[in-house]
Amino acid sequence: MRKSLLSFTALLLTTSVLAACAGSASGGKLKVGLVTDTGGVNDKSFNQSAWAGVQQAAKEFGWEAKFIESKQPTDYEKNIDQFATEKYDVIVTVGFLMGDATAAKAIQYPNIKFAIIDNAYYPTKDAKVCDDTKKDCYDDGGLKNTTSLMFQEDQVGFLAGVVAGGMSKTGTVCTVAGMEIPPVVKFVVGYEAGSKWMRSDAKALHVYVPSFTDPAKGKEVGNSMIDQGCDVVFGAGGNTGNGGLLAAKEKGLMAIGVDVDQYNTYPEVKDALLTSAAKNVDVAVYEYLKTVNAKASKAGVITANIQNGGVGLAPYHDWDSKVPDTVKAKVKEATDGLKSGSITTGYQP
Amino acid sequence: MSTTTARSIVKDIQVSGLRGRWWVTALFGVLLLVAVWMLLNLVIGGKCGADCVQGTLAQTLRVATPIAFAAFCGVLCERAGVVNIGIEGQMLMAAMAGYAVNLFAFQALKDSIGIEAAGNLSRWLAVLAGILSALILAALHAVVSIEFKTNQIISGTVINILSVGITGFLYRQFLAENLPPGPGTFPIAPIPVLSQIPVIGPILFQQKPLTYLMLILAFAIHYVLYYTPWGLRTRAVGEHPRAADTLGINVYRIRYINVLVGGLVAGLGGAWFTLEAVDVFNPLMTNGLGFIGLAAMIFGKWNPFGALLGALIFGLGNSITSTVSIFRPDIPSQLPQMLPYLLTIIVLTGVVGRATPPAADGEPYEK
Repeated sequence: MRKSLLSFTALLLTTSVLAACAGSASGGKLKVGLVTDTGGVNDKSFNQSAWAGVQQAAKEFGWEAKFIESKQPTDYEKNIDQFATEKYDVIVTVGFLMGDATAAKAIQYPNIKFAIIDNAYYPTKDAKVCDDTKKDCYDDGGLKNTTSLMFQEDQVGFLAGVVAGGMSKTGTVCTVAGMEIPPVVKFVVGYEAGSKWMRSDAKALHVYVPSFTDPAKGKEVGNSMIDQGCDVVFGAGGNTGNGGLLAAKEKGLMAIGVDVDQYNTYPEVKDALLTSAAKNVDVAVYEYLKTVNAKASKAGVITANIQNGGVGLAPYHDWDSKVPDTVKAKVKEATDGLKSGSITTGYQP
Repeated sequence: MSTTTARSIVKDIQVSGLRGRWWVTALFGVLLLVAVWMLLNLVIGGKCGADCVQGTLAQTLRVATPIAFAAFCGVLCERAGVVNIGIEGQMLMAAMAGYAVNLFAFQALKDSIGIEAAGNLSRWLAVLAGILSALILAALHAVVSIEFKTNQIISGTVINILSVGITGFLYRQFLAENLPPGPGTFPIAPIPVLSQIPVIGPILFQQKPLTYLMLILAFAIHYVLYYTPWGLRTRAVGEHPRAADTLGINVYRIRYINVLVGGLVAGLGGAWFTLEAVDVFNPLMTNGLGFIGLAAMIFGKWNPFGALLGALIFGLGNSITSTVSIFRPDIPSQLPQMLPYLLTIIVLTGVVGRATPPAADGEPYEK
């Protein structure tokens, strides 16, 4: 009995390996691969957005595109290897946490072009931009084939904070944040600065949850802060943050989404959703791939910010009539201030 | 083995000290609670008053619910001698099945019987779907580990991996794109009269249905395990299957039924995620709570009340984490995040002492 089970398992394994091989046949087209973070390609957030950008470019330029999902951080390098083995030309990695894996693999495969979202790598140690941020410099040959797609989350977080400060009745606003990594911290710092710029007596709470896939925990954390008087919950942590939005909705309070317009991706909470602090990951990925298509892609850092429209608030949707004009005017004022540089978010890298 | 020897072995099991005393557990819990509360106030500067205690404890019970279900599943399986580390996978599967059925049943029903009724009905249908899906995985575990006598750790691991794969696949195929909104989670169901009791009411009696079910299950499993013939047979099979067999107990049958019932209980734990906690499903959303449940089971020395206490301690650590983070943003966030695990280790090593599993735990029985 045991033997037959074993052979059955072996058969299953062989079939699945064969199936995996069959998918990779291609005919000379440029191939672009996307490695997602643990949130997966349907995370209704930045992984999904990045994949949308890849798909758009692949369709337009007639490329072949494929994604691999990382189930855990140890998958990052493995997944990049898989694309490299299958001779992919461009590999897009999604998320700050994939920084080390991407750097290691970019050195290992110098002929593949890499693009990473949310982690800034600089091409060589001697590059000018590297002097004041030494921690991101590589002196072992540099990353000449890697482009970093960065976002100024603190700017759009600031605008979300202005809306929150303007709408809050209690004067307390809060953030259900994901892992304490730079893109998340930027959102939190911006949000809190924005709410205090809007009303100086604003109280801002936040809790970091060490996961992006734990909505149940996010909701409990949101509940705790609601108990402390918070009435505008900013969910800045993928699925974990979504739990915070739900907590606000169930208590009849207000919420602000993140990364994409969550009115579309999480309609269950639309009654509470004021707006979303969006970063246009799809546009950034698409624009980068366009430069690849034109054979003009460059290593280094490309920053999306409020000036070039790479980040911004999503529409108010159902709340449009309920957000007073005074608040909207303040958002406009803050936007102009951030653009001109007369307002800073206070984020220190 | 002679019948006389077998009888004396089973007699020993019947009176053995593995039985839990609920009041010892409760007393220990209260003492721990007071200590933690005092420590907490020391850290956050005395800001945790009555409201905060009430909120924290209500949250503790909510967070502990899925962990306790997992632990109960572990108790049922391991008391019969079957190690089940596939609880995590069973819960994940149930979470997805529950989410999907809740959504689709609601869409199918809402036009014919009205939104309110459709919501109620589809939520309970979803719970049913959740426990059935976990039951299928439990049956797989039972067949592989009892019938084919495969290593039970391997079988459990396979179930966990299988479940991640299946839920991930089905989610992407059917559940990821633009679905119409579902009816949402169970509303809070306050229990009449009892929920009006000050302090205790809001903590214990203003919860959602699965949480009540979890508390009832703790008593039910305790009763079954220690006061019914079935419980004695289960324990005999877990401690000394040879002796049980000699006395005419069908070892395989007992083990099958316990693992299957365990599957139902794990299914309730999974349903908690998508029907009681939040109205979304995302891959890997059980986040290892199935394994924490196993830790709670060991902490509770394979007793239902002990396991419940273990789950509550972990839940308490979790809710205190947010309280500390809120009041002390100056403390690096990673420190309070370690709290639940730290608390578990301290309690496990310092207070509980040696935990002895059922003697035949994890050993396939050869006739």
